[in-house]
Amino acid sequence: MSTQVPQAEETEEQPAEEKASVQEKRKQKKQERREKVERAKQTLEQERDLSGEDTYALKVFRYDPEVAAKQEPRFDEFHVPFHKGMTVLDALMYARDHYDASLTFRHSCRQAVCGSDALFINGRQRLGCQTQLSDLEQPVRIEPLPHQEVVKDLVVDMEHFYDQMEAVEPYFDAEETPEGEEQRQSRENHEKVKMSTRCIWCGACMSSCNIAAGDNQYLGPAAINKAYRFAMDEREGENRKEHRMEILEQEHGVWRCQTQFSCTEVCPKDIPLTEHIQELKREAVKSNLKFW
Amino acid sequence: MAERYSSFQGGTQRWLWQRITAAFLVVVLAFHFFLLHFVNHASEVTFGMSEARMQTLTYFSLMILFLITATFHGVNGVYNALVNQGLTGQKLTAVKWTLIVASALLIVQGVRTALTWAGGVPI
Amino acid sequence: MSQSYNRGLIEDFGRWREFTAGMWAWIFHKFTGWVLVGYLFTHIAVLSTALTGEAAYTTTIQALESLLVVRILEVGLLAVAVFHILNGLRLLLVDLGVGLEAQDKSFYASLVLTGAIVVASVPTFVAEVL
Repeated sequence: MSTQVPQAEETEEQPAEEKASVQEKRKQKKQERREKVERAKQTLEQERDLSGEDTYALKVFRYDPEVAAKQEPRFDEFHVPFHKGMTVLDALMYARDHYDASLTFRHSCRQAVCGSDALFINGRQRLGCQTQLSDLEQPVRIEPLPHQEVVKDLVVDMEHFYDQMEAVEPYFDAEETPEGEEQRQSRENHEKVKMSTRCIWCGACMSSCNIAAGDNQYLGPAAINKAYRFAMDEREGENRKEHRMEILEQEHGVWRCQTQFSCTEVCPKDIPLTEHIQELKREAVKSNLKFW
Repeated sequence: MAERYSSFQGGTQRWLWQRITAAFLVVVLAFHFFLLHFVNHASEVTFGMSEARMQTLTYFSLMILFLITATFHGVNGVYNALVNQGLTGQKLTAVKWTLIVASALLIVQGVRTALTWAGGVPI
Repeated sequence: MSQSYNRGLIEDFGRWREFTAGMWAWIFHKFTGWVLVGYLFTHIAVLSTALTGEAAYTTTIQALESLLVVRILEVGLLAVAVFHILNGLRLLLVDLGVGLEAQDKSFYASLVLTGAIVVASVPTFVAEVL
């Protein structure tokens, strides 16, 4: 299960002479220790297996280009003691803290706000911290997000996702700012963009999108939703909106959406992504008809 | 930037036309199937019957429009599918022109056939 | 970060059991679309035998129609066309922003309706060759 062994002892002082034999000894010691740890783990595992219902079985994707044994991706099984209310993220943290300190995954707030722990859990993109273990069938299969390159274990390269997000200029940019007062938004207009503002940049939607997987240039649901949030904000002004629509109307903008609803189904913040993309398509047609 | 906005961008235009032709085809394809499989049975098709239908201007023009919209809808759909698969650059351009030429040939051939039945444009 | 692992098209093929309704609708729509555009080209090719003369056309069509395979393929074509029409209507509604919450149900409805129409049409399609 584990390939990592506590390495604290490595810095121990040693005489310069007899280096070879010392090294030999150290290796042997290390080996012994490794075996001991492995045995201890196995007994622990067995105990857990015996207690049956109180543990949850996880199958976790492992890959690490820097460790010889993990260069070829594989699945590791962990049996984690279960308690009521336990999430997938809790289980992963338990596995990391008790079984294998090298198990790598992103997480931060643990309350579905930071968007760090979008994972592919039992064949679907979900947030680890928002997914109850009790809702899942065992063994719980935990993989990194599909359609992104894996950097290590459950960590994927989000660079492309961020590039797409930045391509739509994801910041409020009004043409005129009223002097000395707040930039008020009407209640109706806020209601309109409310759902779209909930995006936490977790990348679940983009990972679920069949088209984004094939067409690398496609902006993707998250970026389009972000553009929707600002294009529909009346405070930005007409010119700004036109500019935003121009970005969206490109070949690899809204037109690539094939309304498979995958993004809408996986969004952990329940943003109606497909609906927003569809509205932008109609908006693009309408504004073009005006000029035609 | 603003001048690009004065006319439809390719993507917008093609998306809209795909929907317009879809709405038309839904009706006409259903009619076509119904007429040639349920009202008239496929096994009884003869040159003469096609001739009789095609000599009516309404039917003739409907079929010509059917041919053109179906070709556009189908070929544009194929093109979209390839863009969705991530085809870009020169390959995409080559595919695009192949599709355009194939569509042109198909329409020419279809119109010629229709004209044979109708014996010239049935005005 | 020096090296990363590309898992390629994972999810796209092996995980078909986990596909959602919208994804199936898309796959079927694309597939039927390919069939229909392919048929359009063959259809015109067959019909254009009319260019070579009255007799040639009538014999070609009647020879084809007397084959059971052709009749069965025609039933298949009907299924493909009906599904493409019904799901196409669904997609037009989706494009208009109508009934997005029921998009999965409308997909199942178009499947069931396609099945019903095809089954009801089989007698008409295979008449006289059996």
